[in-house]
Amino acid sequence: MSTHVEPLPASRHKLVALAGNPNTGKTTLFNALTGYRCRVGNYPGVTVETRKGLIRSEDGLTPHTLLDLPGTYSLAAHSADEAIVLDALLGELSDVDVPDVIVIVIDATNPRANLFLATQILELNRPTVVALNMVDLAKKSRVHVDAEVLSQRLGCPVIPVVATKQMGLDLLCQAIDKADASPDVTVALDWPSEVTSAVEVMHGILERVANGKDRLALKAELLQTLLGDGGYHEQRWAKRCGDDFRLLLRQQRSAVVKNGDSLASIEGDVRYAWIDRLIEDTVKRDEGRPTGTARADRILTHRVMGLAILAILMGACFQSIYAWSTPIMDAVDSAIGAGGALVSAWLPAGPLQSLIVDGAIAGVGAVLVFLPQIVVLFLFLAVMEDCGYMARAAFLLDRWMGLIGLGGKSFIPLLSSFACAVPGILATRTISDRRARIITMLIAPLMSCSARLPVYMLFIGAFVPDTQFLGGAIGLQALVLLAMYLVGTIVAIVVAILVKRFLLKGDTQPFLMEMPPYRWPKVRTVFHRAYEQAREFCVSAGTIIFAVTVVVWALGYYPHAKSIAVAHDAQRQAVTAEHEVVLLEIERGGDGVATSLDEQTLEMQAKLSRIDQDEAGEYLRQSVLGRMGRWIEPVVAPLGWDWRMGTAVLASFPAREVMIATMGTIYNLGENEDEKSVGLRDKLKASRHADGRPIYNLPVALSVMVFFALCCQCGGTLAAIKRETRSWRWPIFTFVYMTTLAYIGAWLTFVIASKLYA
Amino acid sequence: MVSQGVRSLRQLRAGDSACVSAIANHRTGAKRLADLGFVDGASITMVRSGKPCIVRIDDRLVGLGLGHQEVILLSA
Repeated sequence: MSTHVEPLPASRHKLVALAGNPNTGKTTLFNALTGYRCRVGNYPGVTVETRKGLIRSEDGLTPHTLLDLPGTYSLAAHSADEAIVLDALLGELSDVDVPDVIVIVIDATNPRANLFLATQILELNRPTVVALNMVDLAKKSRVHVDAEVLSQRLGCPVIPVVATKQMGLDLLCQAIDKADASPDVTVALDWPSEVTSAVEVMHGILERVANGKDRLALKAELLQTLLGDGGYHEQRWAKRCGDDFRLLLRQQRSAVVKNGDSLASIEGDVRYAWIDRLIEDTVKRDEGRPTGTARADRILTHRVMGLAILAILMGACFQSIYAWSTPIMDAVDSAIGAGGALVSAWLPAGPLQSLIVDGAIAGVGAVLVFLPQIVVLFLFLAVMEDCGYMARAAFLLDRWMGLIGLGGKSFIPLLSSFACAVPGILATRTISDRRARIITMLIAPLMSCSARLPVYMLFIGAFVPDTQFLGGAIGLQALVLLAMYLVGTIVAIVVAILVKRFLLKGDTQPFLMEMPPYRWPKVRTVFHRAYEQAREFCVSAGTIIFAVTVVVWALGYYPHAKSIAVAHDAQRQAVTAEHEVVLLEIERGGDGVATSLDEQTLEMQAKLSRIDQDEAGEYLRQSVLGRMGRWIEPVVAPLGWDWRMGTAVLASFPAREVMIATMGTIYNLGENEDEKSVGLRDKLKASRHADGRPIYNLPVALSVMVFFALCCQCGGTLAAIKRETRSWRWPIFTFVYMTTLAYIGAWLTFVIASKLYA
Repeated sequence: MVSQGVRSLRQLRAGDSACVSAIANHRTGAKRLADLGFVDGASITMVRSGKPCIVRIDDRLVGLGLGHQEVILLSA
């Protein structure tokens, strides 16, 4: 008999946890129930953090809080994402209470495999509801599950649902609302007597340190600890109770395996024996179901054809980033230029106009121009994830990743890092091998993220010739872009090999990953994913980048000494006076004047324009930013950079997107009014040293791009590494090695390219 | 062949099916395999052989590296 927990008042607000195997549609169900669409993907490891939402209830039900958990096959946690599930269900997470109700999502097309986790969760003795998802696909595959009998045998409600079509959700909400007691019957598994005795012994000793936990839940946890050799449960109890616990566990494990049983297979044998009896009574299936997945896999997982298709897909992605986005990008650029001109005309000259035009519009606008590329990149990744192809890519690359000491599972976090390293680092939670996980985190920031793309696009567009090869099929600019992505990837390979060889030695765990069935990507999910990322990018542009831009503007604008204005006004008056004298000469028909009136006026305007530019440049040189820039100039000079570039790079260490914004502000501040409407790309092309030499050329552009490809200019990434490794050691290591490599790489690029370019 | 009458998953050819007889050792990976259904008597089909391979167990396709293939023993 189970011990029932105290019934809750019917309308009490509850915390409802959503648990289940990966690929069972948990996140889709979460979205359907809450209306809050979070990221969904058809590969293991999309939900690597918990997320909350309020259930949109009808019929006046209380809007309970729903907690989406990462997918897991078992409560015997071995990886960080599985540990989160366990902690959440046991109420051990610092910011989440013990769930009042657990909803177990079971894939109706494959109930046997899903019931393993379900039986483990039922043993935790919490009010539970089973959501039997994808019953439509099960019907198509001729699998029939008798929900009523299953409900009787499991001792909890079993509700058939189709999360993608929002079917059965009302019944599910009602069941959640009513679920106030623990399961009616205990799942009575046939454990060997040695296991039952060992759990009793451990329970007797550890009950007093368990802080009043439910007796059955504690026993279930101790069972997992006993049978999960080296797992997360064992580590947690050992941390709490020390060496005495390890000794107790060793003794009990020896008692369990003394008759020759394998500790690892006891739980599987016992649970699947029980599940098989249950399946006999509840599931009917016709054999010989057609499988489109098997046909697709014949090609997509083929060692040669599969890799070729993967290479073509990657190539198409990079080409589309460049080709599809350019027209939209040009339109955004023009709109921002027009906006700046409009504000300039409307606001009187002074600090406010300068702040808005030179700071906000030029800075944030320079970043927003690159939104189209980011949307294209995320659309591509979202389609790959949603259709189930990502797991195949990991499968195909496992052998190759093995050469650098990593496994195929590292591929997904590394591919995600091409969009942004932060979710990439979170996605490493699915890697159970600790060493492989840390190495993946260390090299993830070397994958060229979307924030680097604007820098590449700016410098490639301005300084790499638009040469076409093979009748226009391949362009030099796209090849240089690809090369920048390769620089990071090749360096990552070398770093991974060195770290594995010298810092994190040991064998790599073999590949183990479910290949989810292929599904057509859902248009809404894919576009929503791209929209969410685009929104995040805009929010970042509107907050961090805007803040840094304003600081950079202030440093570049002040002290704005009056003496500079006085000196230049004197020069303007002199030019105007000289012009008036010449005008008088012309009117008199003097012999000394060889040119016409129009030519004289043009000459005067040119002189005034040069004075304006001198004045703007002088303000910038005398500003706090200008002085700071000259301090760091000796450090960046070997890389071929001038002080403005050095300042922009320095400002972009917290977040590399800031670089373009800073350049936009610095160059706008340093220009006269007429040139402010010209894009940053043209300003860079036109900028000259005092002796007339161009500041930027191809070697400088390559040096800047290589620096950005290798440098760790992202506070978010370092914070993520710190959080995931729970140590300062790895973020510091990442920052130091990447910054050093970036400096050396940029210097070598500049020296070699200058020799070749000369 | 691991021993007479016993072979590991590694020896199974694409398209062939067999039953699991045991998991060969007690490492952490063995528990994960057992939890996924690789238990005594489970029927599996090799979908794509090699390193790694893909097998079908229940209605689930699972990619397995060489280390796992060697510890999954099949009945004769």
